[in-house]
Amino acid sequence: MGTIYITQEYNSFIGKSDERLTVKANKKTLLDIPLIKIDGLVIMGQATMSPDIIKELLDRKIPLSFVTATGKYRGCLQPELSKNILIRKAQWLAAGETEISIHLVKGFVRGKLKNYRHLLMRRRREYPELNLDAGINKLEQAILPIDLTNKIDSLRGLEGAGSAAYFGCFNQLIQNPNFKFKSRVRRPPTDPVNSLLSLGYSLLRHDVQSAVNIVGFDPYLGYLHYQRYGRPSLALDLMEEFRPLIVDAMVLNAINKNLLTPNEFNSEPISNAVSLTKEGLKIFLRLYEQKKQSKFKHPVLKRQCTYQEAFEIQARLMGKYLMQETDKYPPLILK
Amino acid sequence: MFVIVSYDISEDKRRNKIHSILSSYGQWMQYSLFECNLSKTEYAKLRSRLNKIIDSQTDSIRFYFLCGCCQNKIERIGGEVVRDDTFFLVE
Repeated sequence: MGTIYITQEYNSFIGKSDERLTVKANKKTLLDIPLIKIDGLVIMGQATMSPDIIKELLDRKIPLSFVTATGKYRGCLQPELSKNILIRKAQWLAAGETEISIHLVKGFVRGKLKNYRHLLMRRRREYPELNLDAGINKLEQAILPIDLTNKIDSLRGLEGAGSAAYFGCFNQLIQNPNFKFKSRVRRPPTDPVNSLLSLGYSLLRHDVQSAVNIVGFDPYLGYLHYQRYGRPSLALDLMEEFRPLIVDAMVLNAINKNLLTPNEFNSEPISNAVSLTKEGLKIFLRLYEQKKQSKFKHPVLKRQCTYQEAFEIQARLMGKYLMQETDKYPPLILK
Repeated sequence: MFVIVSYDISEDKRRNKIHSILSSYGQWMQYSLFECNLSKTEYAKLRSRLNKIIDSQTDSIRFYFLCGCCQNKIERIGGEVVRDDTFFLVE
């Protein structure tokens, strides 16, 4: 099972022949893949689609997202909402400042911060000369009070403090003299490292949001993120624990192992927005996909799974908790 | 399950149809030979689709199943490269 990324800019046409998805451009077939092998479609360039293939993607619930080449998420083609109204009802009943939502928010924040801490501690073991102690201490101070805090706003504060501590020492994790990281800059990212992080988070959002949709949630009602028009808060909530595990780890890997060099970045003159070149984008997408398909042992299910599967597993675990089939939501924390 | 499908079809039009259906379930490796990695449902669907089209008097299709440890024993000299199903990039 794999994801298709379309970066072809002009004239590409996505169609269907038999039970296959085909991509054509300038009368040449660029891709001809059985639909049963596809579990996602990301369009980063431009593409026309035949009505047939749209119908087929909806029927098979294959998520399709539109993302700009710089990584801004534009939207998605959404299949019919799952018929599982009970899970959505449970989701809505838990909205606001309830016992259930507080428990979930604790889970999201704890998952994210603990994964941050493990990432820093692993670096400290590998490179003892780095000065990461202050950051790790601050992170621990943010993690400790999580269990005792029972207000969502305070939990948001702890999350902010933890993230700030982590990004405060992010520059030290970069072992490549060609790259520097000062602080997290978004909309638009103005340096290579930030642009990689932003692009990675956008791709991650495509995957987590599709998992949330497949399980049957309403992606716009979240607990950690404030409700805002058009913001898929639940997908963003569930994304938190995956950020360090997938995106940060792979961005650091790409930079430290020199898989991406400064030549692979373009800078726009007025906005200073930095983005990847076509070549760079190709490398980055491949790395992201490899990361997603890599296997690990799930600490709760005690079996091997890929990160791609873990998105849905975590969404289902959240569903089980909301339906009160389990008494805890276990965020994915990996050592 | 990993299935190797080989076919012998006498008529061109029918053979093209069979080829097209098999392409939707696996990868074409050689003339009249496909390799498919399928779930049980997918296999059942494929089989029933093929069954509807062939003329059992003149045509034949054979399915060979490879067990897990035999899948790694496939060797290749020249010919089609095995497709990587985890990542597709269109540029």
